[in-house]
Amino acid sequence: MSFFDLKGMLQPLGAVKQLGKKPHTINYPFETKKTADRYRGLHYNDLQVCIGCGNCSTICQNDAIDMINIEGVEHSRGDSGLRPRVDNGRCCWCALCVEVCPTGSLNLTKDYIYVTPDANAFLWTPGVDNPEGKNDISFTSETEFSLSMYNRVPMRELEGSERVKSFAEVVLGYNEEEARAEAQRCISCGLCTNVCPDTMHIPEYINAIASGNDEDALRIIYDNNPFPEMCGKVCTRQCETVCALTHRGVENDPNDKGAVSIRWLKRYATETAPTAAKIKEILNPVIAEPNGKKVGIIGAGPSGLTAGYYLALRGFDVTIFEAKAKAGGMTVYGIPKYRFPMESVDKQVEYMESIGVKINYNTTVGKDITFEEMHTAFDAIFVGIGFQKAWTLGMENEEIQGSIPAVDFLDIINRGDKYDVGKKVAVFGGGNVAIDGARVSARLGAEVVILYRRRVEDMPADWEEIIGAQEEGVRIDPQTIPTKIIKGADGKVAGVEFLRAEMVADDKGGRPRPVAIEGSEEIFECDTVIGAIGQEADYSWLPESFKDKIEIKRGMMIVVNEFNQTGDPKVFAGGDAVNKTADAISAIADGYAAVKGISKLLLGHE
Amino acid sequence: MEKENKILEAIKVAFNVEGHIAREKRVMITANKDIVSSILLFCKNQQGYIHLNHMSVVDRIEDGKFELNYIIWSPTEKVTIMLKTFIDRENAEMENIDSIWDQANTYEREMREMYGIQFPGLIGRQDFALEDWDEMPPMRRDFDTHAYAEKTFYQRPGREDAKDVREELTKQSGEVIPDFAKKYSRE
Repeated sequence: MSFFDLKGMLQPLGAVKQLGKKPHTINYPFETKKTADRYRGLHYNDLQVCIGCGNCSTICQNDAIDMINIEGVEHSRGDSGLRPRVDNGRCCWCALCVEVCPTGSLNLTKDYIYVTPDANAFLWTPGVDNPEGKNDISFTSETEFSLSMYNRVPMRELEGSERVKSFAEVVLGYNEEEARAEAQRCISCGLCTNVCPDTMHIPEYINAIASGNDEDALRIIYDNNPFPEMCGKVCTRQCETVCALTHRGVENDPNDKGAVSIRWLKRYATETAPTAAKIKEILNPVIAEPNGKKVGIIGAGPSGLTAGYYLALRGFDVTIFEAKAKAGGMTVYGIPKYRFPMESVDKQVEYMESIGVKINYNTTVGKDITFEEMHTAFDAIFVGIGFQKAWTLGMENEEIQGSIPAVDFLDIINRGDKYDVGKKVAVFGGGNVAIDGARVSARLGAEVVILYRRRVEDMPADWEEIIGAQEEGVRIDPQTIPTKIIKGADGKVAGVEFLRAEMVADDKGGRPRPVAIEGSEEIFECDTVIGAIGQEADYSWLPESFKDKIEIKRGMMIVVNEFNQTGDPKVFAGGDAVNKTADAISAIADGYAAVKGISKLLLGHE
Repeated sequence: MEKENKILEAIKVAFNVEGHIAREKRVMITANKDIVSSILLFCKNQQGYIHLNHMSVVDRIEDGKFELNYIIWSPTEKVTIMLKTFIDRENAEMENIDSIWDQANTYEREMREMYGIQFPGLIGRQDFALEDWDEMPPMRRDFDTHAYAEKTFYQRPGREDAKDVREELTKQSGEVIPDFAKKYSRE
């Protein structure tokens, strides 16, 4: 080795080239390394968004998630009030719980360090024990690629231009393949059951369909609803509005919001039994021995028939008095046949009669038989009279030819009689009855306009009905307030005068109110005016002597207790005259509740 | 797609198998299990597909089959071949290819442990990631993970207040689910 080892002296200077480069060694002070973008650390749950469906708990293969009550969270419409708690000692961070969370409230964070000497402290509630987790979210679920299916199987329908040519049923129904696929979307949480007035066993019958047992589905449905075909076609389906899948399905479809088609699946299940005899064969109902008690029912609408059916199964001698020639009430005389065909009602009524429900048609209580006579002859009475009388418009020329309430108009058409609506029709109202009146008029060949006080989005009618009407050529003229029906030289309706309205914010925080704009009068020339602004009950059959016992609030609603019992212990009531929702499923629920009440009264048990 | 077509045609001509180009730089081949190793050797030795990228299994329980995928790549062509084959689920057995690529040994040991697929002649410890496992191979779809977890791990104290969502909802609404319907309730 020479004294001047040039290479040995210069080589260490090579390290200079590393200047400015990021070192591979650990930095001091220590910097936490960034986790991967989709790192699966500890859970975080947004307690306000979570609905307590329990899907996370069900999917967890390690049984690590419990659903528990936590302070400050109460159950409400579409929320079970429960929230997930995770045993981090069992969790394997597979994130299946996040993948199937229908609201997207449950996520995993970047946080993966949790040190404690107490093993039981690994049991903790995401969102409660780590509120700061919301700033640290890492693994989230997507709706586009998901184990949950946010898009419903579309329903096949007749084209709008085809529909107006006849009263043929618009909805074609699911076939087997479609029904199975749709049923498999259900996560079976049961949140829907709590908003169903009749608390039907929805997850159970949908699961039965999903597993191919349609007859079981029908048996489950008939447990507390003897009108599934009607509900399967025209139910107001509150259940679908709280379906867990709507929370994120709304991104794909703002109308159905991706809710499981509960109504259409029920319809599918009822198609298993095309005749009354087949229904009986599948259900094979156990009818109790006659118990010697007689129950009289006023009105063969959904509530009366429901009460009659379940009472007959329990061995009661049931007689229904129906003023009209057919049973079914408003579902027969009020709902147009393109939504609910007559055969569907006949089939269900025939089945009920086959198990012993007696129906006296064309028999009006108060005329053919008095209420006092019924009160003496029967051990209990159920009143299911419905809202048959239309509200008057309180408008000039309301009584002239060409002006007709929607319920009367629909009644005439559904009976099979004729009504000449002329070439142009104006319909007042924004509910389902108004839409029915409009769509029926369109089928009679008229040009139809709906005049509605508020905006289209304020219409209480079903969104499907509104879209259906528009597809059939019905024009909706919102923010219009009819003021006068114009009488022509021939004494018939010649048109309608209306004012335009502007929407004014409600000071009390309610929905905006329509306020007429002065001088905005316009005239719509038409041949028929159909009013659909509401109905009420007719209590002319109820004798004065009973009015102190059977309380009727504001002349409209009969007051009842939880068993639908009125102030007269023998008299029960249900249907539109009792519940505020005034829909068929509430009427069915009333009938079912009254059955328990009548059993309790006459047999001593529910 | 010239490179993709070239290799696809070469394999089709040599082995008379089904295949297509899925997209640029990706060729899909489906072959009978008996010729898989021959195709792999042909690709490696004659076509320059020298890199075994990945091996995977899909449990096609409905069809009674396991789907095996061999993903290989050519560093010169920059094209990936996905070679797919199906074997019976019952007594599942597949040819060992660790003589073609050493690293296949690791994949095959994992497939043996997780799916129970046997590779005659495979040398290597029976245990791969699981210790003393005497249950059904756990990645098979008919393995009940939930039941296993329930049987194996004790429940931590303090979990007794857990509620069943469906049951809680029936308490809130007063719904009575008939017994015959309960088999359809969520577990």
